[in-house]
Amino acid sequence: MKFTDIIIQALKNLKRQKLRSALTIFAVMIGATSVTIMLALVTGAQSFFVSQFSANGTLQQIAISSQTDLAKFDQGNNGGGSCDSCVKLTDALVTKIKAVPHVIGVARRVSGGSLESVTYNGTKLRLQQVEGYDANGILTNTMLAGRDIAEADKDGVITITSDYADKWGFKGHYSDLLNKPVQMLTRNGYSGVGATIALPPQQGPDGGGGGNDPQQQPPTTLTATIVGIVDGGDRGETVRAPLAWVNGMNTQRMYQMTDADRKAQDAANRACQNNHTPCQPGQPKMTLVSQDFLTQNGYNGFTAKVDDVKNAATTTAAIKKLGVGAADAQSLIKQQLQIFNIISLVLGGIGGIALLVAAIGVVNTMVMAILERTREIGVLRACGATRATIRSLFTIEASALGFLGGAAGVAAGYGLTLVANRIINAQLGGSGLAAHNIITLPLWLIASVIGIATLIGMLAGLYPAFRASRLNPIDALRYE
Amino acid sequence: MPQPALIELKSVSKDYTIGDETLHALANVSLSIKPGEFIAITGPSGSGKSTLANIIGGLDKPDSGSVEVEGADLAKAGDRQLSVYRNKHIGFVFQAFNLQPTYTALENVMLPLVLAGAGGKERKARAQECLNDVGLADRMSHRPTQLSGGQRQRVSIARALANKPSIIIADEPTGNLDSAKGREIMTLLAGLNKQGITLIIITHDMEVAKQASRVLSIHDGAVKEGRS
Repeated sequence: MKFTDIIIQALKNLKRQKLRSALTIFAVMIGATSVTIMLALVTGAQSFFVSQFSANGTLQQIAISSQTDLAKFDQGNNGGGSCDSCVKLTDALVTKIKAVPHVIGVARRVSGGSLESVTYNGTKLRLQQVEGYDANGILTNTMLAGRDIAEADKDGVITITSDYADKWGFKGHYSDLLNKPVQMLTRNGYSGVGATIALPPQQGPDGGGGGNDPQQQPPTTLTATIVGIVDGGDRGETVRAPLAWVNGMNTQRMYQMTDADRKAQDAANRACQNNHTPCQPGQPKMTLVSQDFLTQNGYNGFTAKVDDVKNAATTTAAIKKLGVGAADAQSLIKQQLQIFNIISLVLGGIGGIALLVAAIGVVNTMVMAILERTREIGVLRACGATRATIRSLFTIEASALGFLGGAAGVAAGYGLTLVANRIINAQLGGSGLAAHNIITLPLWLIASVIGIATLIGMLAGLYPAFRASRLNPIDALRYE
Repeated sequence: MPQPALIELKSVSKDYTIGDETLHALANVSLSIKPGEFIAITGPSGSGKSTLANIIGGLDKPDSGSVEVEGADLAKAGDRQLSVYRNKHIGFVFQAFNLQPTYTALENVMLPLVLAGAGGKERKARAQECLNDVGLADRMSHRPTQLSGGQRQRVSIARALANKPSIIIADEPTGNLDSAKGREIMTLLAGLNKQGITLIIITHDMEVAKQASRVLSIHDGAVKEGRS
């Protein structure tokens, strides 16, 4: 019997029991729909993140953190060098990273947490952190208005996120905010750039040697000019500023006696006591001392750029060998995809169970069909059908159930993704992102869902088909 | 010179076990059938007539002995060989017609041709020819339910003829028909025999058996020549 005839025959047989076939196909369809949506969601989200990252060159970036433990990567990335198992990120390290093959540049990053609020035109908003970075083109931002921080920028230049601009009432006309001044208020104890450090109160001749108590330092107001509005993503309460300025903010300054001055003072005091003469040792000499945050803790993070996306993974590994934590965008995308993975696991579970139940349905349908067609099988055998032919007929029939269910499932899945994309586009549009059709149905996905459904149908048909082929033709012909 | 045998059974035995009882359907049967013979197999029900016909037709295999058809031993043949043998050399006609109710007469007749792997045009042409031969040229697209009993049996004969078999085995072909229709069917089958097809009819109708050139009667698995 020709294979095409077997297929035609199988389809004819399915048509004979329309309702039963339709119900079985429907069961397969439910499973196939779940699996379709699951796969579409995962691949769609993946390509969405990849396109988002590649749009601003992030795929070529490697984030370098003082935290070598990847699980605590973000912690190390934001918290400076103050953690266990951390490596201090220094300028010496930058030189080493730059020497790694395929690295075409490194941007250093420092965050300042000493600011409390940012005020425009009297509206005071909370400020989480100030982010300073080398404006050498390696770290870029999605600009909604104005320009990014440039290398030539000095202290007092910032970009703000759209969150701030929105709250200050500039939604839709961000450019009106450009070149406007804002006031940034520091926390208590701020002694960095811009703060006025008072000389400690005069003390008696013997009580000298103390200095300022940094905690006593009152808040300072720093003034800055907005040069750009960036898409803040999930970090809305952030202000970006030139690296040097943020370094200055992180510097702790106080009046102290130097060791030499202290010795001189002590010597003068002793001389006065020994001479038993009225003596004036003079006021303790105070010097303004700076404690550079960088020397103490290192940078908060580096971002290295590789020449080509395909070298990102190997370069990341090479940088890790320097003893720092490093991650390329792909591994970050993986983290971002976690929520989608959970959704897809749930859908996959439903789909898997549905397909299992559908497979049982196919077995049931086929066993029923064999009972009904026992006599027909006998006639087929008498007319010269081999066991193999009978087996093929029923296997193909079961596969056809799977195939049709799979095709219907893909169609239903396609319809659902159209709806889902509309909803997601509306959501993204609301948050200022261009509308993307996140969920896509690539051809390979359609083919594999239909393929899997067909395979399940075929496997479910194996046992019934085997039973049919084993029927004794004489008994089958007598079967009532 | 004696004509060489078409079918040669040598010491064929076949037992059936029903419950504790062993039934000797065929006990050490030897017989030979020449090409073009018209044989009637008679005997009471359960005597083993059907078993004999099924073994000759390649639907069943003996427990022991050999069944040689044109030199090949059916007793040793595998499923594929037996299937090809049934498809090419044998045409079965059943008492209950065994037509596929969802098929038209033409589709029913095309079945053995489809199984043989014949092409679309060829199978249709041959099926039309066969239906024409049995006098149903005007009933080709009718379904079995739209046909009378006699017409149904004609369709079943046309189906048996599809692959130009050398042997037609008819198991009680007139059993479900009234005597007039039964006579028509017997005339048709006898005509086919005259064209050279070996005809084996299982019957307990003596009217039918009378038309045969040779009668074999079976009692408890033993075959006797002539009427019992």
